[in-house]
Amino acid sequence: MQKATQIVEALLFASDAPLTAADLARADASLDEDVVEAAVRALRIEYERTGRAFDVYELAGGYQILTRPEFEPYLERFATVPRPARLSAAALEVLAIIAYRQPIGRAEIEEIRGVGSAGVLRTLQDRALIDAVGRAEALGRPLLYGTTDRFLEHFGFRSLEDLPRPENLPVVLREPAAPEVDAAPPEADAAPDAGAAPAADAAADAAGPSEADAVPADASGAPPAS
Amino acid sequence: MEASVAAGEDAFIVELDRFHGPLDLLLHLIREQDIDIFDIPIARITEQFLRAIEGVERLGLDRAGDFLEMAAMLIRIKVRMLLPRRGDEEEEAEDPRAELVRRLLEYEHFREIAQHLEAAERDRLRHAGRGYVPPRPEPAAADAELELVWEDVWAAVLAFAERTRPPAEHRVTPRLVPIEEKIALILDTLAQFARIELHRLVAPYGDRLHTVVTLMASLELARRRALAIRQSEPFAAVWLYRRNGIAANAEGDADR
Repeated sequence: MQKATQIVEALLFASDAPLTAADLARADASLDEDVVEAAVRALRIEYERTGRAFDVYELAGGYQILTRPEFEPYLERFATVPRPARLSAAALEVLAIIAYRQPIGRAEIEEIRGVGSAGVLRTLQDRALIDAVGRAEALGRPLLYGTTDRFLEHFGFRSLEDLPRPENLPVVLREPAAPEVDAAPPEADAAPDAGAAPAADAAADAAGPSEADAVPADASGAPPAS
Repeated sequence: MEASVAAGEDAFIVELDRFHGPLDLLLHLIREQDIDIFDIPIARITEQFLRAIEGVERLGLDRAGDFLEMAAMLIRIKVRMLLPRRGDEEEEAEDPRAELVRRLLEYEHFREIAQHLEAAERDRLRHAGRGYVPPRPEPAAADAELELVWEDVWAAVLAFAERTRPPAEHRVTPRLVPIEEKIALILDTLAQFARIELHRLVAPYGDRLHTVVTLMASLELARRRALAIRQSEPFAAVWLYRRNGIAANAEGDADR
């Protein structure tokens, strides 16, 4: 392995959060973003070739070493602390609205959901999944909310582009129609270049919620281990 | 308002609790019965909705209000549907249900996205990063509890308060020493040093009132678990220890 690759590996190994290519490039004068990206590609190939239990994933615009999904059962059994709490259905609803309509104020969120949402908003803000990003011009200059990098990390998205596209959902804002299928499933070639985030396939798997349930997508560019 | 009652008439509330709000309930009624959302039989749905939210007030005022508001809207629509259409007046008279349909579809749209987010979250949780296995607990001071009895602390404080009294030439008019000031002083100091002898915080003032208030501030911070107080033996020096990873204002995260 080349030295640049090893430097990138050392940083990724030591970090418990995603590091961007720019972050990583700051570590040494020999690095720039292109070198870092090449190093990440080299690492992914190396990890796959040698059957590592982990891989480099793309999250929130950065890179992070995470275990491959097939090791979840062992890790879960080993954990002595409760896993991070999954979000409530109400919290997911509010996040969905904010993610697609940001920046958006509380009143509009409540209008869409038909229920008060102040408590949920506070919880989401406490968990740093959303943040106040500004104020509306409207009366009282209400706060406007947007999603954070933490949001992307939490759901395993590389960027907001990974969110399911409305046109791939069963269309409900027009005539109800048969669920549309993405013309070119990004899953098609999970070749080495696919620095796919863990949940990228969940997003790509936009044909319908039922399918998302049936196929706990885990391929995400991972090699057929074992 | 957590309706965790098992059976009886309250079982119904539990049922209503399943729904995140009036739109959720309404969509359930419509989708369950395969009703065309663009042609909602408003009278029937209104009746079903009203029956479903009987006893809703037990969900608490806020949540009940959301359901009742929707009930009122349904009834309003129902009435407008019953009114005779004055044909010529507004040729394009909008269907009274249109706004409701728009809101239902919009809500359903986001509910669907929420399901996608849930699936993405589930997938993400199958991966673990560093820190998944919790780090070893910090040794020593971080775990130190306040294990002194009040009298020990008090005696030690008095001892050095006497010790440090300056040759008071003239007494200045006493002024109030706010405890917040001392809390800030302690926190600032502990931000720089892992531990500090209490004596060093009060010596510069050479004043009993400062001593007492500083001690009170220490005890208050110990209660908030922002620091730990240690004394090796009775009458020995009292040390304040920074507690790792504890924010100064660790109070009041009642909200979950």
